[in-house]
Amino acid sequence: MHKELSDLINRNVSGANAVAYLTADAKKFDSSITVETSHIYKVVEFLKTNKTTSFNSLHCISGVDYTDYMEVCYMLTNYDPSAVRNLTLKVRVTDRVNAAIDSVVGQFVSADFLEREVYDMFGIKFNNHPDMRRILCPDDWEGFPLRKDYVAQKDYNGMTVYPDNKMNMEDREFIVRQNMIKKAQAEKAQ
Amino acid sequence: MQTRWDVGEPHKPTINTSTEQLKSDLLTLNMGPQHPATHGVLRIEIWTDSEIVAHAIPHIGYLHRCMEKHCENLDFRGVIPFVDRLDYLASMNMEWTYAMTIEKMLGTEVPRRAELLRILTCELQRIASHLMAFGTYAIDLGAFSPFLYAFDYREKILRLFEEVSGARLLYNYIWIGGLWNDWSPEQISRVTAFCDDMEEEAKKYHELLSMNKIFIARTAHVGVMSVQDCIDFGATGPILRGAGMKWDLRKNEPYSLYSEFDFDVPVGTGEVGEPGDCWNRYIVRMREVVESIKIIRQVIEKLEPGSIMGKVPKVMKLPEGEVYFRSECPRGELAFHLVTKQDSKEPFRLKVRSPCFTHTSMLPRVAPGQMIADFVATVGSIDIVLGEIDR
Repeated sequence: MHKELSDLINRNVSGANAVAYLTADAKKFDSSITVETSHIYKVVEFLKTNKTTSFNSLHCISGVDYTDYMEVCYMLTNYDPSAVRNLTLKVRVTDRVNAAIDSVVGQFVSADFLEREVYDMFGIKFNNHPDMRRILCPDDWEGFPLRKDYVAQKDYNGMTVYPDNKMNMEDREFIVRQNMIKKAQAEKAQ
Repeated sequence: MQTRWDVGEPHKPTINTSTEQLKSDLLTLNMGPQHPATHGVLRIEIWTDSEIVAHAIPHIGYLHRCMEKHCENLDFRGVIPFVDRLDYLASMNMEWTYAMTIEKMLGTEVPRRAELLRILTCELQRIASHLMAFGTYAIDLGAFSPFLYAFDYREKILRLFEEVSGARLLYNYIWIGGLWNDWSPEQISRVTAFCDDMEEEAKKYHELLSMNKIFIARTAHVGVMSVQDCIDFGATGPILRGAGMKWDLRKNEPYSLYSEFDFDVPVGTGEVGEPGDCWNRYIVRMREVVESIKIIRQVIEKLEPGSIMGKVPKVMKLPEGEVYFRSECPRGELAFHLVTKQDSKEPFRLKVRSPCFTHTSMLPRVAPGQMIADFVATVGSIDIVLGEIDR
């Protein structure tokens, strides 16, 4: 199903470069389609307007930070029982400093809040978005919390928000240490 | 850096730019964050032209704990108490959805008794959540007594949960692979008794509130969200069904054992008002209570003694992959997007798709042209829980 869909996208949207990622175990995991970052609007427009797919609802936009690149996942849904129901559409963002992709608000109004959340958490700007502000964090908050390299700021408007004696500090350090040990072991094995 | 409260003028409305011309005539009012009608710490900036709302901008994030970041540092079992605190009025449903997400990745088989008891608890929780919605919605509109009736019966459910799980609101009861504790036959018989009482009580509610003339005057033809609007905004649950679309994941994409059960999906038909208005959203919830009772009765018939915990590895390690799993919660479709790395003990990324988040984004669409009092009725009819919006 994902293979046919990606072929369909490639045939109709030139330069979309859709690649289907198929899992070995479809019962346990989800498959997805990755498209060219610059073509996301056109692909979404095609998937919505075209007769064979006609995904009419965007339910969720989720960002994932893989450290060397970031991914934005669009969960599209179709309420038509005869068609393909759900699709995970992905784009990759490699530039971490000036991360920006096209907004899909023109096609799905639900993207308004969802894209603002991705911007708030990952710092990916959405071009042509009508209201690109932070949504959950305050407007003058520094950094993007769900990035893997995020370090919380110590003070915010004169309030200490990240004290040194924070309760879970030991736990976090433990995990970091464990990861370092793992890394060292992996390097040793090589 | 310049903050929002440094700016002298209110910032311009962004979605409906036509109101900009009227700016000098408009008065900015903040509804919230401590307004009782917002059901939590939600602030809605409304631009009013005398008593007509010209524009509404929801500001959320007052309860933001960045739970998704916390989860990245916890093992898969440790996430469950955090998931509880998303929608604190329907914690069981939250836990269950999370447990099912992990079980799907692990490929765990949950024993039949555990599955049935999960359905039982979650349908009870759905009733409790809808009773809360019923009671607080009446308070929003100025009627106090329905709240007391609703809380009386909600309390009975919470007592049952307290006996079974040890907690009244945040349970940590549904675990990955099964349940923490079994229900005794005595408790099950109390559920049966509760169902009988509740069915009679639900009829009383219709007399008390649903068909009340003042209530109808306040809610019919108010805050209409059409099916097209709901689909565009990704609205689900009672909002979508209230607009007249028969869509319920328990029926359309049955998970767990829901395909075995016989129940209806109530939709807003517009016998009072029109489909998609506040009254129809409200009545869908009240009818769902009756459908949930139907499901609970069938569960009790099917219950057989057996194990309540499936085989789960002691140290839980998940393979690399990702899953987007959704389920029908009292407020709409809740979904978890879980990404894991090879042999990971903690989630690499856990995204919560919360139904109320998308429902809040619909407010700017319905608000323009409403009276302020009607806007309060609209916000109440969406039945938002801020714990889930802000995460």
